[in-house]
Amino acid sequence: MSEHKRLDAVEGKAGHPALCVLPEIEKEDELLEIMWTLREEGKLTHDEVLQSCSMEGCEAILKDLSKSGWIHVKGQAIELLPKGEKRARELVRRHRLSLRLFYDLFALDGAEAEACKFEHILSPEVTDSVCTLLGHPPNSPDGKPIPRGDCCAMFRQEMKPLVAPLADLMPGEQAKIVFITPGSHSRLDRLSAMGVVPGSIVKLHQKRPSYVIQLGETTIAVDKDITKEIFVKKV
Amino acid sequence: MHDHGSSDGERHRDSNLNKILLIGNPNVGKSALFGLLTGKYVTVSNYPGTTVEVTYGNAVLNKVRTIVIDTPGVNSLVPMSEDEKVTRDILLTDRADVVVQVADTKNLRRGLVITLQLSEMGVPFILDLNMDDEAKSRGILIDQERLSHLLGIEVVKTVAIRRSGIDKLLKGIQQPRQSSLEVRYDDAIEGAIRDLSALLPEANISRRALALMILAGDESLKGWLHANMQDHVIAEVENIRQALQSKYNNSLGYLINQRRMKKADEILAQVLSLHESGKGSAIAFHLGKWSMHPVYGLPILLVVLYVVYQFVGVLGAGTAVNFLEKGVFGEYLNPWAIKIVHFLLPVPFLQEMLVGDYGLITMALTYSIAIVLPIVGFFFIAFSLLEDSGYLPRLAVMVNQVFKIMGLNGKAVLPMILGLGCDTMATLTTRILETKKERILVTLLLALGVPCSAQLGVILGLVAGLSGLATVIWLGTLLAVMLLVGFLAAKIIPGQPSDFVLELPPLRVPQLTNILVKTVARVQWYLKEAVPLFILGTFILFISHKVGALAYIQKMTDPIVVNFLGLPSRAAEAFVIGFLRRDYGAAGLFMLAKEGLLDPIQIVVSLTVMTLFVPCIANFFMMAKERGMKTALYMVAFIFPFAFGVGGAMNWILRTMKVAL
Repeated sequence: MSEHKRLDAVEGKAGHPALCVLPEIEKEDELLEIMWTLREEGKLTHDEVLQSCSMEGCEAILKDLSKSGWIHVKGQAIELLPKGEKRARELVRRHRLSLRLFYDLFALDGAEAEACKFEHILSPEVTDSVCTLLGHPPNSPDGKPIPRGDCCAMFRQEMKPLVAPLADLMPGEQAKIVFITPGSHSRLDRLSAMGVVPGSIVKLHQKRPSYVIQLGETTIAVDKDITKEIFVKKV
Repeated sequence: MHDHGSSDGERHRDSNLNKILLIGNPNVGKSALFGLLTGKYVTVSNYPGTTVEVTYGNAVLNKVRTIVIDTPGVNSLVPMSEDEKVTRDILLTDRADVVVQVADTKNLRRGLVITLQLSEMGVPFILDLNMDDEAKSRGILIDQERLSHLLGIEVVKTVAIRRSGIDKLLKGIQQPRQSSLEVRYDDAIEGAIRDLSALLPEANISRRALALMILAGDESLKGWLHANMQDHVIAEVENIRQALQSKYNNSLGYLINQRRMKKADEILAQVLSLHESGKGSAIAFHLGKWSMHPVYGLPILLVVLYVVYQFVGVLGAGTAVNFLEKGVFGEYLNPWAIKIVHFLLPVPFLQEMLVGDYGLITMALTYSIAIVLPIVGFFFIAFSLLEDSGYLPRLAVMVNQVFKIMGLNGKAVLPMILGLGCDTMATLTTRILETKKERILVTLLLALGVPCSAQLGVILGLVAGLSGLATVIWLGTLLAVMLLVGFLAAKIIPGQPSDFVLELPPLRVPQLTNILVKTVARVQWYLKEAVPLFILGTFILFISHKVGALAYIQKMTDPIVVNFLGLPSRAAEAFVIGFLRRDYGAAGLFMLAKEGLLDPIQIVVSLTVMTLFVPCIANFFMMAKERGMKTALYMVAFIFPFAFGVGGAMNWILRTMKVAL
């Protein structure tokens, strides 16, 4: 096992992606996630966990988890102890947010596999950023609930994403341009020559018959397509 | 820096002719300033991109004979449309003693981006903060001295349309300097600039500026590079650019502009102060908003159209034409001319040539002065008012979606509306459009379906005698044809439609003097284009009539005119002349109708055919000049048969369905 770990570390440094064999700690993670999911389905039992686990040595890991105070096992009954509960919730949250990210934003096939890798990399800050970027989504693409994080609580009133396309603003609203994903270089150049650059404050005047935006003392009419490529953050 | 600048100026003043170049963003008042400095009139309007060509004017400024050069507005000196290229090229190839950068004071941020580019170019220049009044009324104050200090050049404030601040400007242009300001880019970009500079030839602008243009991916520079450098050096230049670009995700042009923007913001932060003094004119602000509102915009558009119709159609084409044609020409001038000619020239042939049925005086002059002139004059007044008020760009917002069907966008509204005045002038204005595809499309649609005001006047006169249904059929057919042809042509003509990104200037109260001067200039332009053609056309008609060619042509075209279009044989005469000028042809139809030779269906059919004709010979030449002879010929080859085809179909449908008009 230690042989594996060293190898992983070396590969990690060289920037290799996926690990073929999960290190011990990630196996624990997997198991905690399995337990969380089973509990959601109302069938969290010792046997079910072992059945759902496709890894080797599940029983041993289960024992380890129990020994270090993550879970409490009594016969068939398994209970997540407070620190186990927290760890599992964060794991599931990261996993399902990652799914959303790959599925919605990147429209990636095989989002599941990518999400599995991602959930172990995301730091708490990045997780919240992803959650915010996606507009604090309540469900993962497969319909399972995403455990809420601190960032979601702040926005419970208004479930609007922090960064949204300019096209989604309401007429009269003001926002700061965060980034632009132009269809072509020339479009970006043209916009930037008119002062439409990240950092500028933009106000949306109207959406029909054409979009009209204002930056400082410059009023510009633009196509809707273009406003979809300008991402803004409300101020 | 300072020393360098003045010695530079000295060297060029030797030639005894000072050269001043006006440069700036669109719609900041360059042309107004040009008019002030030279006393020469150029089109000044409240529509970005009105100046599409470089204009030269002579003046004596500070007791020195001076050439003032007005340029099309630019948002960046890395050009993105043909008119922007014109401006960049003049900086590249034409050495000016003084460059005057004109900036809109309330929009200084964008002006500064150009300032920074001029500064990179190392040209001696001064900065004119124009429209200071508008900035003040919005509570925007610029610390002129501090700005001057930061830039290391003279900075003056003016309100060009009110002549305010001109003395200071004149003083300023005696002390042009190179700006001491420098923008530093990333190390990698700076490295590439150094590498490129070593390869580039001597030019009117600094190598650093040239290098930055190349890095920014300025394709329009290609021609100049190939003219001034060897191929293998250009290949090396390209390699440096590629290598640098591969280091960044974003385009280099964007990164460079981004850096300039940041610098501009830094400068602005030090010189700009905002005061709470209202937000400009509240009425203008709200009117501006309503005029492009999805609901209120339409009634406003209808009101505007109605007022324009009353002014041009009723007052111009009705009252004024009546007064001139029946009164001035009918009662006095023509009878006198006939008497004088008969008295002075006892040769019947010459008499007939001058004052006969196809007489140069009784037909050509009467027509051009008594009918065309008032209509065109009234139209241009109305157009100038619309233009200077800032309504046209808002109209562009309203029609954007409709124009999309024809492969265009709202920006094309300016040439299209101007086409209602004069298609030839409008064809020249297609330069404000960004892609070749759009320019070709608009040129085609102008030639095909937009009747110029002279023709409109005659048409309105003809249609006035018909039912409303006839007018609707004529107008509906025209619009349907334009949409259809635009739609199909957009599919056939290769190329991309451009983005609709249009700056909307504030609504302004038009300046009366500017309206008058502009109208006079346009009318002059029109008469110079049109009157010789009227005379030529009449002469051809007269000769054809004399030698009997007209009757021959009528016989030749009978199958089409009589059988296919269902018109009297004499209508061919109008069509022949319609090749020369379609309004002239329409006038011929007018005469036929007045003589009672046309029934309502015939009037509508012949009018539609005539409207779809190429406007006039001058317009054809302009098409050839702007789009190339080949394209122009293709268009003509399409338009004429197409016009007859539509007319034939219309005749058939109206007759079969027994529509009563």
